[in-house]
Amino acid sequence: MKLKHSLFTRRQFLNGLFGGWLGALMVSFLYPVMKFVFPPTKEPDQVILHFSDFKDMKQNSVKVFSWGNKPGLVKKNKNGSYWAFVAVCTHLDCNVTYIPEQRKFFCACHDGWYDENGTNIGGPPPRPLRRLILIIRGEDLIIKREGVK
Amino acid sequence: MNLLGKKERAQSWFDERFGISGIVKFLREKKIPQHKHSLWYYTGSAIMLFFVIQVITGFMLIFYYNPTLAEANKSVGRLMTEIPMGWIIRSIHSWSSSFMIAFAFIHLLSIWITKAYRRPRELTWMSGVFLLGVTLAFGFTGYLLPWDDLSLSATKVGTDIPRSIPIVGVWVTKLLRGGEDVTGDTLTRFFGFHVCILPVFIFILLAVHVYLIQKLGMSLPLAAERRKEKVKELPFWPNFVYRESVVWLILLGILFTVAIFLPPSLDKSADLMAPAPEGIRPEWYFLFLFQILKIFPAKILFINGDTVAILLILLAFILFFFLPLLDNKPSEKKGKFITFLAYVSIVFAVVMTVWSLL
Repeated sequence: MKLKHSLFTRRQFLNGLFGGWLGALMVSFLYPVMKFVFPPTKEPDQVILHFSDFKDMKQNSVKVFSWGNKPGLVKKNKNGSYWAFVAVCTHLDCNVTYIPEQRKFFCACHDGWYDENGTNIGGPPPRPLRRLILIIRGEDLIIKREGVK
Repeated sequence: MNLLGKKERAQSWFDERFGISGIVKFLREKKIPQHKHSLWYYTGSAIMLFFVIQVITGFMLIFYYNPTLAEANKSVGRLMTEIPMGWIIRSIHSWSSSFMIAFAFIHLLSIWITKAYRRPRELTWMSGVFLLGVTLAFGFTGYLLPWDDLSLSATKVGTDIPRSIPIVGVWVTKLLRGGEDVTGDTLTRFFGFHVCILPVFIFILLAVHVYLIQKLGMSLPLAAERRKEKVKELPFWPNFVYRESVVWLILLGILFTVAIFLPPSLDKSADLMAPAPEGIRPEWYFLFLFQILKIFPAKILFINGDTVAILLILLAFILFFFLPLLDNKPSEKKGKFITFLAYVSIVFAVVMTVWSLL
């Protein structure tokens, strides 16, 4: 079917074509810029520590290790078992500390409290502290992200 | 050949090329209205004074500052202890930023209450809100640069806040931090924002803002404008400039006095693995936001409390930006209610700030 009148003028068509091409060119510039601006930062799948560094920990105490760029805490429980947490508050990302006398984790930024199992019990934190999987294998203390084989 | 003729010839040579005489003529004829609210006119130039001080002291601080994980805290320490006059330059930079922000708040509130943003000055207000945003961003990025425990925790919280904004939030946090976490990359990035990216924005916005003020002239009080009263005027040059200089000298005196007697402290270098220190606090101008985040409960109807808080703050900011368009009937009931809201916001911010200090 041939239209009696064209929907747009030749000038409009060319402007659209040229403008569209220019826009697409700009977007193609934007892509590498965005890739550059956001660096790849992957959380580690696992970290391997020396178990000997943690063997002599007192019960009901914690020890810091590096979980990528974040601090992690290895906690020795009352029954002698070991747990690992990401020591970062689930509210706004401050580093938390463990207070053995009260058997609670505490975030000083906005008064956030967690019990000794890492469950949020007071203040603004919306979720429990993140637990990591902890395996003792011979001399190694292996700490893994959940879901990593 | 006399000297006078030479000077005039040189002037006309430049004028032919620059066309500066139009600006000179404009400034000579510029008039400032005189009325009972004229005092607020001085707040704008006070901000400008502190801004100029920030630029000059900022240039000086860059000579010695190192924006790296290993050196940042050390270099500020060296500045405070070894470099002659280093401590006072840093102190002036730190205090002048507070003064600049304080006057920006006063300036905006005075415009809100006197409704100086009404037609045709809506865009002047909006460029001003952007300027406030950039100024606060300067304060926020500058706070991290000494890289001590307090500044690290404040930055962790501050950069985590956008995460609660749907869709774009996560990317904003990553963009600010240069990755998932606050690291040495964040420090370098904040330095880049503070000394390179934000200055470009502030100069562009300032140019727009000042241009609009010159183009539209000073706003008159609402009542005088409605009754079409003739308001007394004062020539900008030299009468008003002299009066401004008096204000500037007084402010400079106050600034130098507090800078000498209350220099900012510097704690030990921040440790990325250490727990947040007790009593962490952002700069005073963020305290009311800090307190709002603190008092919101963990959950409100299955939604994270801080998400609700941040979305409410965002909404308030958007309403604030579009205030001149919302306040389109300034002398009617709606206008009076919006003025009343200004007083409510002042009381709210003061109460929240005091509460956060308790």
